[in-house]
Amino acid sequence: MQLAVNIAVLAAIYALISCGYVLIYRVSRVLSLAHGELMMLGAYGLAATASLFSGHPLVAIAASIALAFLVGVAVYAALMWRMTGESVLAAVLATIALGILLRGAMVLAFGNQTQYPLQSLGWTNASIAFGGSARVSAAGLTLILLTAAVYAGLFAFLRMTRWGIRMRAAGQNPLLAAQRGIRLHGVYALAWGLATLTGGMAGMLIACDAGIESTLVTIGLKAFPAALVGGLDSLAGALVGSLVVASAEVLLIHFVDPLLSDVVPFFVLLAMLAVRPWGLFGTREELDRV
Amino acid sequence: MKKTVLGIVLAAALPAAAQDAYVVGVSAAMTGPGAGIYAPVVDAMKAYLDHVNARGGVNGKQVRLIVQDDGAEPSRAAANAKRLLAQDKVVLLINTSLSSTYAPMVAEARRAEVPLYFGGSVCPKDTYPPADPLQFCSSAFGANLDSQGALAFVKAQAKEPVRIGFAAMAIPIARAEIDYAEGLSKTMGMTPVAKQISPPPAPDYTPFATKLKDANPNWVFSWSPWVSQVRTFEALRRLGWSGRYLTWAHLNAEDELARIRDGEFYVIGTNALFQDDLPVHAEIRAVTHRANLKYPVTYLTEGFIAGLVIESALKATPWPPTPKKVLAAMNNLKVDLKGLRGGPLEWTRENHFRIRQHYRVWRWDPAKNAIVRVQDWQAIEVKR
Repeated sequence: MQLAVNIAVLAAIYALISCGYVLIYRVSRVLSLAHGELMMLGAYGLAATASLFSGHPLVAIAASIALAFLVGVAVYAALMWRMTGESVLAAVLATIALGILLRGAMVLAFGNQTQYPLQSLGWTNASIAFGGSARVSAAGLTLILLTAAVYAGLFAFLRMTRWGIRMRAAGQNPLLAAQRGIRLHGVYALAWGLATLTGGMAGMLIACDAGIESTLVTIGLKAFPAALVGGLDSLAGALVGSLVVASAEVLLIHFVDPLLSDVVPFFVLLAMLAVRPWGLFGTREELDRV
Repeated sequence: MKKTVLGIVLAAALPAAAQDAYVVGVSAAMTGPGAGIYAPVVDAMKAYLDHVNARGGVNGKQVRLIVQDDGAEPSRAAANAKRLLAQDKVVLLINTSLSSTYAPMVAEARRAEVPLYFGGSVCPKDTYPPADPLQFCSSAFGANLDSQGALAFVKAQAKEPVRIGFAAMAIPIARAEIDYAEGLSKTMGMTPVAKQISPPPAPDYTPFATKLKDANPNWVFSWSPWVSQVRTFEALRRLGWSGRYLTWAHLNAEDELARIRDGEFYVIGTNALFQDDLPVHAEIRAVTHRANLKYPVTYLTEGFIAGLVIESALKATPWPPTPKKVLAAMNNLKVDLKGLRGGPLEWTRENHFRIRQHYRVWRWDPAKNAIVRVQDWQAIEVKR
């Protein structure tokens, strides 16, 4: 039972991070390699708002969520907007540069000491009994529930709302969508905002569970194989890919060797690229050679 | 022609002659992975030497500390060492960075025959007796000795047979130490039941802790970077494990004991904590305040010790300083650490680590709502 809970928590982490990769790629065909840094920025955002609104944890959380969304929109408005019409490679390189810039800026702004936003919020990370013998942390349980809510919300948003349908249209055929009056910049900015929001929320919850370390950015990279395994243009694929990678990782830690946990996501990814390069749920013709 | 030759000779002689100060060069991980551990050491070292300069310097001369950031990258450390040796003509080279930066800096120091001092970075085995002629170290960590001190504490505390688990980060130095501790535990009559090695960036430590908990240890010993030590412990507690956990006291141990507030979470270390409230702690506070350092004062003991060591080594170096004179001074050095450790730091020609390593152990006492000392200084002789 404990193994199942461990898999669920790790899969939730990967799924919440990887849906950001998918949202941006699906809408604009850009692979954001600054997603780990944006996730970490979300965590630092919570630490900042928690100390700014000391004694008002809900206000602090709401402010950090709004901030994460606005950061994503700002990244598009300030940088990615200028990449419109450029090659995919140029846009990917721009995200790499953005990541390096953000990493340096975060050290300057927040220092390099471990920060504990949960403590600043005045909450504790309680251990909750689950079933007979399993336990999960409050932050871990929140991760699972939030991931489920985010994916349900995104599925509903993309299928049932006007902006969601516009996002799908822009992703399928941007030229036709623009000719039909859809403002592509608005759609892309929304995708960046939502992707940074979900990644930021993952960063916030990891920070609540374990604090903010400089290594947090690497965790963003570890979720990347989950997105690719599922199929980079499929939200359902990101969910399944996360579950596959997390299961492989947790089971290998428990039954084989913990050291394999670092390489197994990339091993699963290589296996998938060899057999089905477009991923479990990806679209075959959407593959680009970068 | 004569004037030109004279000009070249003067220009070549100028950097050395113009240096009216002891010039010391540092290559440190001020950014990048591990900066949280190394940057406070360098800042405290610099603050202490600024304080020494404000009091008139060493032997009436100022100490000039040149700090270069290597971002924990070997190539940048090598470039820093080259620049510090060739351009700045430092008489002492200092490393405060990851172990991966050691080899290139050792190579440069050997080429220039300048002593290399590890202040705040893990002491390489080359500083243990019989020591490499050029390498010195004052850092708190002591490979193998730390495990000896830790397991001796466990044995002294345990009233029941010890079933011990081990946890470490997947980096060479931590794995080697935990392997040593595992072997040592068997010779001390303990039963090692599990050993968990986790990768450096793990999003969730629960899967690692689950396996450790399933082995049902009553003690766990961890020797790694703090993040790995404490995340494993917190995951174990959330899984309902109620045993005792002993781990290494890094710079942030004092603040972390107060954050975690667990009566069975022990830290073992060689530097006194601020709760020991020594007169030297007031001095560290004053220096920190004057330098306006951004770190909590509890993080700065290691850097202050490095500052004391540099001051003592330079005090024993007659003016004008040369690397050879500094080396001679360091080969016969005794530094009064004012109670920050269990005894003075002593270096000899054979031993560039220390003659004795002293350990104290602390924990959080929930009844007193404070950090308490569980074991006072216990000395281990550092032998060949």
